[in-house]
Amino acid sequence: MADNLPSEFDVIVIGTGLPESIIAAACSRSGQRVLHVDSRSYYGGNWASFSFSGLLSWLKEHQENSDIVNECPAWQEKILENEEAIALSKKDKTIQHVEVFCYARYESQDLHEDVEEAGALQKNHATVTSVNSTEAADPACLPIADESLSTVSCEMPTEPTPSSNPESAREVNDVEAAGEKENPCDEKTCVLSTSEEETRKNVPTTEDTAEQPKKNRITYSQIVKEGRRFNIDLVSKLLYSRGLLIDLLIKSNVSRYAEFKNITRILAFRDGRVEQVPCSRADVFNSKQLTMVEKRMLMKFLTFCMEYEEHPDEYKAYEEISFSEYLKTQKLTPNLQYFVLHSIAMTSETASSTIDGLKATRNFLHCLGRYGNTPFLFPLYGQGELPQCFCRMCAVFGGIYCLRHSVQCLVVDKESGKCKAIIDHFGQRIISKHFLVEDSYFSENTCSRVQYRQISRAVLITDRSVLKTDSDQQISILTVPAEEPGASAVRVIELCSSTMTCMKGTYLVHLTCTSAKTAREDLEPVVQKLFTPYTETEIENEEVEKPRLLWALYFNMRDSSDISRNSYNDLPPNVYVCSGPDCGLGNDNAVKQAEALFQQVCPNEDFCPPPPNPEDIILDGDSSQPEALESSATPEANSETLKESGNLGNSEEPSE
Amino acid sequence: MMAIRELKVCLLGDTGVGKSSIVCRFVQDHFDHNISPTIGASFMTKTVPCGNELHKFLIWDTAGQERFHSLAPMYYRGSAAAVIVYDITKQDSFHTLKKWVKELKEHGPENIVMAIAGNKCDLSDIREVPLKDAREYAESIGAVVVETSAKNAINVEELFQGISRQIPPLDPHENGNNGTIKIGKPPSQAGRRCC
Repeated sequence: MADNLPSEFDVIVIGTGLPESIIAAACSRSGQRVLHVDSRSYYGGNWASFSFSGLLSWLKEHQENSDIVNECPAWQEKILENEEAIALSKKDKTIQHVEVFCYARYESQDLHEDVEEAGALQKNHATVTSVNSTEAADPACLPIADESLSTVSCEMPTEPTPSSNPESAREVNDVEAAGEKENPCDEKTCVLSTSEEETRKNVPTTEDTAEQPKKNRITYSQIVKEGRRFNIDLVSKLLYSRGLLIDLLIKSNVSRYAEFKNITRILAFRDGRVEQVPCSRADVFNSKQLTMVEKRMLMKFLTFCMEYEEHPDEYKAYEEISFSEYLKTQKLTPNLQYFVLHSIAMTSETASSTIDGLKATRNFLHCLGRYGNTPFLFPLYGQGELPQCFCRMCAVFGGIYCLRHSVQCLVVDKESGKCKAIIDHFGQRIISKHFLVEDSYFSENTCSRVQYRQISRAVLITDRSVLKTDSDQQISILTVPAEEPGASAVRVIELCSSTMTCMKGTYLVHLTCTSAKTAREDLEPVVQKLFTPYTETEIENEEVEKPRLLWALYFNMRDSSDISRNSYNDLPPNVYVCSGPDCGLGNDNAVKQAEALFQQVCPNEDFCPPPPNPEDIILDGDSSQPEALESSATPEANSETLKESGNLGNSEEPSE
Repeated sequence: MMAIRELKVCLLGDTGVGKSSIVCRFVQDHFDHNISPTIGASFMTKTVPCGNELHKFLIWDTAGQERFHSLAPMYYRGSAAAVIVYDITKQDSFHTLKKWVKELKEHGPENIVMAIAGNKCDLSDIREVPLKDAREYAESIGAVVVETSAKNAINVEELFQGISRQIPPLDPHENGNNGTIKIGKPPSQAGRRCC
């Protein structure tokens, strides 16, 4: 399979995140020869989703990143006299402050068995046939340390530790952290959290280990064994059912590659309690928590928001004040004001003006009812499916895909100032007209003036929902307002197993906010409000109603959205920058960005139009196949485009 | 009216073994010598009867993403069956078939029906892979196996019939899509069905 890449393309796209993938699809669709590469072994970059073992490998890679220097043929000598090179970065610096906590027990009988994710022997989750399998992540190996972080957090509550004294536990940790970061620690030496407070809370006591684990408790080894049931997103987003991404998926017919679930509940966190927010008409009327008067107030206000622009007299006077102040002037109880502000407009006391708040509220209401009772959809198997769907569309129209393919440098023609080629990790020079590069591939030289924001993320595996109802298959979004003014609200998305992102009996919870500090510092207070660590519950019964944490991960991700092109040093005009994920809930930013860049690469071309009729595209086909009709019981022998092209998303299945 | 069941089938196998040709033969009963590496159609459909059901195969092609080992996990999602193709005149392609099977077991759904197609059986005078080897291997992994010729229309129908027979009957408990939404089609508008 020593297939060589062609040496000339129209467009080279580096990075397989969502914006890059959309652009690749759009360019390929409009006839450009596209090469799409990613240095990683999986699709999606920071938009990817991982199985549990895949995530552990990802964590490990971020730990090892600093140590690995890939041996590549020197590219410098390949640069001609009339050329200059822009070296690309070899390592990903977008992830920081990674901390992992395991609260779930091992099953004692499994302690010395080899536990591994069933079936998943491969290190990464992208599909490979040529790469040798690597060992599944050692279940006992949890210490993950970012190069910039001196703490290694790893808790193994089941195994008796050398001492339950927090001080000595810390010492062990320090030694471990200083010495053998890379080595998987075995169960015996596994270190405890660095934080004293954490340590005290989670240090296993002898009584704990003596107790028989109950049968219905999820253990760490179960999580590892069922690891492929997890599809853990690095970014946590939802699709607004009338947002740009849904529109694009439908328009381009890429929607056929994915399936979705509707978010079933909007939740609010108020006075220490989680409650459901009534947002649709049916919800409002069925709500038990609202009085009749409140129901009428809310309906009246929401109806006004739907068409607020037609009644300028009702809000013009309040344009200068914040949305929260404006809400106080309306006939709404504090309860309702809270719901509208935090859960429907999803803003804060200070962040939005009246107009912004009304706009956000209208947008929310506008999206209601298209697919269900809430405005949001979530892709089955995780957000990481979406870049892959666009990549498939690109490939279907001839785009060429290479994962694990690094680009060493961009080659710039001195005279024209334009980029003319890349040199890849094999030393091969590949010519192209346009180059789209995801931000994280640029070296420090290129980005020396760039100021990045950060996103704080937490990923939790829990054993029950934050708000229990009859159904255990709820998908919820919850906004927890900031406690201090100026801090940002925390967005919590809880996914159930039918989203195909976690194993049965567990929930996958994503927390996201704009970073003020490290991810753990930003998010742990909210985690503590909503959840209780697994080991505590047997002792403190009053806490039992909170979901128990089985496993937790914190990390910071760089937010390169909103960075102006001018901030990058010396970019040739035909090199375009794609940003990593932003902190927002929707995906509009990625779509807008992709469309804008596409218009620069292919001016006046339609952006991802629906595929042509099958007659035009079927393999070289002037063959009208009468035999097919005979041989098939139901003659429907056609490319599937037949049934969906034409009218955008409104055609119906021919028969069902 | 028989119930129609949509079954996603994904194709696997090395570049050039004839994956697209097999589908093209099956769906359009057509063979083209100069078939270009898979451009334009991202899946093809054909409906065949099976017992008291109709099986509507949605056959996904790799779209060339296997060429540089870059198939995306989404390719396997929800597949009822996989057709893994090798070229009987190329021992290498039989060797990598095993890697594809492993791949499938790691990333594909559980209970996926596997069918192995030894393509280009019209060229048996330059055969490198004995049928016996393929049979033994298929048996070891519980897969259907046939030798096919997309060119001469040999065993292609049989390949898919073999898959149909292996598809377990519809589980009444899993009937319905329990809230899964396909966009691009109108969302569950039961009332809009025509005639």
